[in-house]
Amino acid sequence: MSQPSIVVEDLYVRFRPYVERKPTLRRTIGRRRSPEEVIALNHVSFTVNRGEAFGVIGRNGAGKSTLLRCVAGTLRPNGGKAVVHGKTSTLLQLGVGFIPELTGRRNVYLGGLAAGLRKHEVDERFDEIVEYAELEDAIDRPMKTYSAGMFSRLAFSVALNLDPDVLLLDEILAVGDASFKEKSMQAMRDLLDKAGTILFVSHSLASVKEFCDRAIWLERGEIAAHGPSAEVVKAYRKSVAKQNAKG
Amino acid sequence: MTQTTSAPTYYTRRLVYYVKELWRRREFIWFLAMGNFKARNASTALGLFWWVLNPLLLSLVYWFVFGFIFPSERDIIYLMSGMFAFHFTAQSLTGGANAVLQNSKLLTNLKFPRLILPLANLIEALVGFGVSLGVLLVVQLIVPPHFFPTSKHLLLIVAIVPLHFVFNLGLGSITARLAVPFRDINNFIPYLNRVWLYMSPIIWPLSMLTTERGENFAPYAEANPLFSLISVYRAALIGDPFDIAMLVRFAILAGIVGIVGVGLFVRYEGKIARHL
Repeated sequence: MSQPSIVVEDLYVRFRPYVERKPTLRRTIGRRRSPEEVIALNHVSFTVNRGEAFGVIGRNGAGKSTLLRCVAGTLRPNGGKAVVHGKTSTLLQLGVGFIPELTGRRNVYLGGLAAGLRKHEVDERFDEIVEYAELEDAIDRPMKTYSAGMFSRLAFSVALNLDPDVLLLDEILAVGDASFKEKSMQAMRDLLDKAGTILFVSHSLASVKEFCDRAIWLERGEIAAHGPSAEVVKAYRKSVAKQNAKG
Repeated sequence: MTQTTSAPTYYTRRLVYYVKELWRRREFIWFLAMGNFKARNASTALGLFWWVLNPLLLSLVYWFVFGFIFPSERDIIYLMSGMFAFHFTAQSLTGGANAVLQNSKLLTNLKFPRLILPLANLIEALVGFGVSLGVLLVVQLIVPPHFFPTSKHLLLIVAIVPLHFVFNLGLGSITARLAVPFRDINNFIPYLNRVWLYMSPIIWPLSMLTTERGENFAPYAEANPLFSLISVYRAALIGDPFDIAMLVRFAILAGIVGIVGVGLFVRYEGKIARHL
């Protein structure tokens, strides 16, 4: 029996629509709050073991990103808990903490420090990060001069070189050209081999099926299917096809 | 990791943990502050100088208005010393409100003590303030009475700047806290700053507080926390008479504002992600 790396227990998150409408002074004072609530996650539980890649699929608005944000600890749930054992690296968006006006070099430090590394730890990894991102001399140019591919490669390289125990990924495998994509897949396999854990949210059913051992399918904040990724993907595909046929 | 119970002992333990986390992240705070500092100044031709130029030009404008249009005894050094100190506080009000809103990407993706954001913003403003004090020193070499600070004055600066920092941190945390649910605050702060500027002894001389008819406005003026602050700065920077009571008064105020502001922000920070 392998040890659990991510334990999500009875996770419950609700949003009030007025919150999502960016409440202004007038709306708050006006007391015209809508009593309805949107339940983003309705008592979701699952466990991810060490060395496992775990997929999360579902339609837009099913609660996938909310789930990742709870696991990452940036969103406090209304009920239940999400516990992560080990050092977490999050790749929910690319280039978090980067400031485009600054050089790539400076941004490697910013990104690494933002993710929780110390400066000397970034020093140690610096050459590796640049080499992996295939940037060479461009590292000393402002990042706003980078192509989209260069930007993503550097961001991805920083996240991977944090040596995380747990990597939280949101829909970013579509990074760079074909050869970089292959490299990033390899890097994630290496992480899994080192008993790392990956929680992977994606719309790309093919990569979830290929890459993940197990998966859940979220539907309106609830788990619609839970099991080996091939089966979950199959069930989800069926449901989508059925809905398309109806609509 | 888990965040469920809320027993009193848990609060203190959480506070210790919070401060430890902040300290562990000090390099990040510094890089974020300096990164923003550079980025903000990278796109304008005069770059870094705007930090000094803004309050400097404002001082010159008032010097021109009150020196030539309405002549009075105010000199440029008096204006600048007050204006620079005020500018640091004004910056932390605006910066605090922006610190959280502009870093929404960091907030939704990474877990860290949220106080880092107003703190980094304040450090950025502190660096700008430091540069402007250097400019003031240079101006004093040129303009009579050629005041040059002695070690006594430097000691006073060492005492007042940290207090000013704590005061500003409290204020910046409050605007950061308020700006998340009420974005309207961003439109309001410039007016608040303008009113506060006029209420503070920056462009008007202290002699104006008492009139020939025997009226005394000093108690009202002194209710303004910036009154004691600027009075200490003037003692330190341009050699005005120093009143220890002013320093003590501001120290107490800074402590209260700092604790209340930071407390309000930290208690709220778990909810920030929901509003972004």
